[in-house]
Amino acid sequence: MGRPDLSRRRLLAAAGGLTVAGSFGFAALGTGADALASGADTRVRYWNLFSGGDGYNMIAMLDAFRADNPGIDVKDSTLQWGSPFYTKLAMAAAGNRAPDLGVMHMGRVTGFSPGRLLDPWDVRLLAKYGVREADFNPALWKRGVIDGKLYALPLDIHVQLCFYRKDVLKKAGLLGADGRMVPVTSTDEWFDMLKEARGATKKGLQTLGMWHNDQNFQWWFFVAFYTQLGGTWFDAANTEVTFDTDKATQVLQFLRRHLTEGYTNPAFGGGAGAEQVLNGAPFAWEGNWSVPVFDAAKLDYGATPLPPVFGEQATHAESHAFVLPHQSGRGGAADEAAHRLAAYVVTHARQWAAGGHIPAYTPTLSTPAYRKLNPQSEYVTAMDHQATEPKVWFAGSTGILAQRVGPIVVSSTVGSAEPDVAAGRMKGMLTELLASKNPMDGRTAAQGGAVA
Amino acid sequence: MTTTGAETVIRPARARTAALSATVRSRQGFQHGGWFVAPFLALFTLFVIWPLLRGVYLSFTDANISGDGTSFVGLDNYREAVGDPLVWDALGHSGYFTLLVVPCITVLAFLLAMLAHHIERAKWLWRLCFFAPFLLPSTVAANLWQWLFNPGTGMVNHVFGVETPWLTDKSYAMLAVVICTLWWTVGFSFLLYLAALQGIPAHLYEAAKLDGANAWHRMVHITLPMLRNITGLVIALQILASLQVFDQAVVMMDFGTGPEESTRTFVQYTLEQGFTSYRVGYASAISIIFFVLIAAVALARMWLLRNREEGVR
Amino acid sequence: MTTAAQTAAEAATPVRATSRRAWSPSQIVLTLLGAAVSMVFLSPLLWAVFTSLKAETEAVEVPPHWLPEDWTGQAWSAMFETGNITNWFVNSLVVSVCVTAVVLLVAALAGYGFARTQFRGKGFLMGMVMAGLMVSPAVLGVPLFTTVQQMGMVDTYWGMILPQCAPAAMVYILYKFFQGIPRELEEAAFIDGAGRWRVFFTIVVPLSRPSLAAVGIFTFIASWNNFLWPYMVTNNPDLMTMPNGIATVMNSYGIQWAQLMAGGLMAGLPLIIVFVFFQRQIVAGVAHTGLAGQ
Repeated sequence: MGRPDLSRRRLLAAAGGLTVAGSFGFAALGTGADALASGADTRVRYWNLFSGGDGYNMIAMLDAFRADNPGIDVKDSTLQWGSPFYTKLAMAAAGNRAPDLGVMHMGRVTGFSPGRLLDPWDVRLLAKYGVREADFNPALWKRGVIDGKLYALPLDIHVQLCFYRKDVLKKAGLLGADGRMVPVTSTDEWFDMLKEARGATKKGLQTLGMWHNDQNFQWWFFVAFYTQLGGTWFDAANTEVTFDTDKATQVLQFLRRHLTEGYTNPAFGGGAGAEQVLNGAPFAWEGNWSVPVFDAAKLDYGATPLPPVFGEQATHAESHAFVLPHQSGRGGAADEAAHRLAAYVVTHARQWAAGGHIPAYTPTLSTPAYRKLNPQSEYVTAMDHQATEPKVWFAGSTGILAQRVGPIVVSSTVGSAEPDVAAGRMKGMLTELLASKNPMDGRTAAQGGAVA
Repeated sequence: MTTTGAETVIRPARARTAALSATVRSRQGFQHGGWFVAPFLALFTLFVIWPLLRGVYLSFTDANISGDGTSFVGLDNYREAVGDPLVWDALGHSGYFTLLVVPCITVLAFLLAMLAHHIERAKWLWRLCFFAPFLLPSTVAANLWQWLFNPGTGMVNHVFGVETPWLTDKSYAMLAVVICTLWWTVGFSFLLYLAALQGIPAHLYEAAKLDGANAWHRMVHITLPMLRNITGLVIALQILASLQVFDQAVVMMDFGTGPEESTRTFVQYTLEQGFTSYRVGYASAISIIFFVLIAAVALARMWLLRNREEGVR
Repeated sequence: MTTAAQTAAEAATPVRATSRRAWSPSQIVLTLLGAAVSMVFLSPLLWAVFTSLKAETEAVEVPPHWLPEDWTGQAWSAMFETGNITNWFVNSLVVSVCVTAVVLLVAALAGYGFARTQFRGKGFLMGMVMAGLMVSPAVLGVPLFTTVQQMGMVDTYWGMILPQCAPAAMVYILYKFFQGIPRELEEAAFIDGAGRWRVFFTIVVPLSRPSLAAVGIFTFIASWNNFLWPYMVTNNPDLMTMPNGIATVMNSYGIQWAQLMAGGLMAGLPLIIVFVFFQRQIVAGVAHTGLAGQ
């Protein structure tokens, strides 16, 4: 009895000891199993925030890159989109453990403390891999340049669109001779259109999906329509708030009206808007990245920039860009591979365009293959009517501005706050933010806390 | 769930044998024990005491996440915190969560423990069923409930035949987080109650039976009073853990702040300020405020306990 | 001497004698009630299992249905192919094992030191440990992060492990336990000429095996399931633990519920399986650490 038990115990003890020793050894190596297993000469760690159709296309491009460059092992990681992504990127850079390559929204670059959390691109190295300034929209390229150095290499422009189902619109007589949605130039025309479309829609479906309870989308739509009204944010010196509460109220009332008149069903916020369109709802306001969703469903659909209901054309636009998160020892093989990878993706952006994005690399834009893409050709002009957030350190996709003001827009759209009250709150928030100091350099926006 | 505070319900019997026979040598054996404590103290100082002191220091500065260009700003951060509506909102959300979770968990854990205690067969099975959720990581529990509450594809609405916008309406969002938390953590308190129930001496019940007390009387006059200490412990642990809620809320809301910011908890707000807005100084100030609050709750409990013990004596 | 661990352990032993008794009406009612409540508790887990065995498209069908129409292991195999899950599993194991080993060693030594030995400043240090019970990464996460950042340990295993290795609660539990051990054994050993360390490792440690097991089990569970601290200190997906990776790293193809559920089960199942086999010890551990740990 005693002996087998003893040896079993000894065996268990030995196994336990080995586990503990092995764990400490593994922890001491410190790189994780994947890096250990990687046999390639150079390993590029690349973080992005692309999932869904974008993720699919990005992976396809990375696979193509891998096939062309067998000596480089690309370890790509997709993190939670939005502020969690920026939090992780900033913390990794601050902790000096940043990945070799990252993706960011252009609007976030100024607030991301170039020089401290970001390293500049080596433009000569980029040129070696085929990326030249001349091949980009000058305004776009310049947004990535701070203090004379390139910090963000633009990949695309992405815009907010009005997706529509051609079959439903045709039934409602809302399709023009060119097979596209008839143009709208005022809020009345827009609501007339919704009314007629509703008549042609199956029971149980809403008319328009507009992410009514999502603080990011509502903020983007607000920016678009507020820009259509010619609204401004701050004066040129960033010392005064020029936000127009009357115009803002008009926009907020417009957004709210979709719910009060029943075109948008409160139960179908968020991604349910696109699902509704798949099931037969006529309209959804979505980012252009939803193109693959509708393509995959083989839908007969179109997409235009957000309707110019306040007269002027303008739709919200942002850009994805490649960045080099700060590493104290930047340089070397991994860094060079990061340049090569970014250059490759930027110049091979046709696949990316299939995801609905407008490529930043202009040679791609002019290829016949791109011009033939639908509905991309329908909204490519949106890049000439961009509505963007003000260029201050606290702005940019899911930045502090969006985080603070977005919920106010939502509160009005869903009816928790009156539009005029919400507009007043927005102005108050803008005033507060303008006076606040950028924690990274202690300067306010007026003091030039990094202007793009 | 962390165990904090200081109390024992079941005290190890202390052997108070006077060591009269102890020789000088044995006494020496117990001297100069600093080395036993040293490794722990080193870790404790580095990762508990030092961050606490550092937090106090940082709270008087405008430090940012990169750690350079820090200057002293006096009480500015605290002044700002008191006037920051989001601080109060976050405190309100954490408080609301605590207010909902604590009584529900206490009652539910008690009922489950009574049930498991009184069923005579397959005791291990009930224990397993009620305790299993606690063994899941918080993020897994949150993902699961996010899926259960999902509009359209969610089982909760399907089973009850309703269309409640659990995760997208501000009047339900925190409730959804509470339901997830109840399911996930009630097992822990359940076990504490079960252990306490099993610790009640059987002769008390037998004596009561002889006196003709029915089941209800036995519960009111024996079980409940005997469970008073454990109930105090469960409530205290739950209050401290619930005030620090973070994991479930952020994961269920995809790391956002919920519909109309209705689920932004206090911990989440400190991390937002520190890591998303890079304001380490300000984040430290609100952390210190939070620490004082937590410490106050813990001290209040210790004080209550001492008062009661003195009252008993 | 009765410890909570033993009480709970005894309680956990099925009482065979009673299970032979006839079914009384009240037992039938109670058992049915127990079965019903158990189903409510288990149904979310079952739902996760069934979801993970559906194809992604079937998982999001409206209205939802319980059982898969086409049983498929596609979500499970896809999950293993991408490889992240296995990495995270290894990381979780490494971190939890290291934390448990360090905590056991350090907390046992400290608990003994406080309970039995004399040294200058003991009262003050004990008070500090008690105060430390109130500090957690949830309360002081930001300053703790900057501390670890200064040490250059962001995104390292040590950065994840070491801050979890100073649990005042565990020291307190073991301190209470060691106080309850009779001194005579140690005294006798001292008289026989044994050194302090030898007394500790050959007499005290074997005596306290149940308590150490309880502390070890509880520490392992807490560390395996810990989200907040690893979430703060690791950004590199290569180094993430299960709970952190599942929540923060997205599937590049968007939310794939079947895979997400499979991943969640992968993270949760090991502890549940361990629980089934070591139920008695774990119940004792949780009850013991919970009861004494306050």
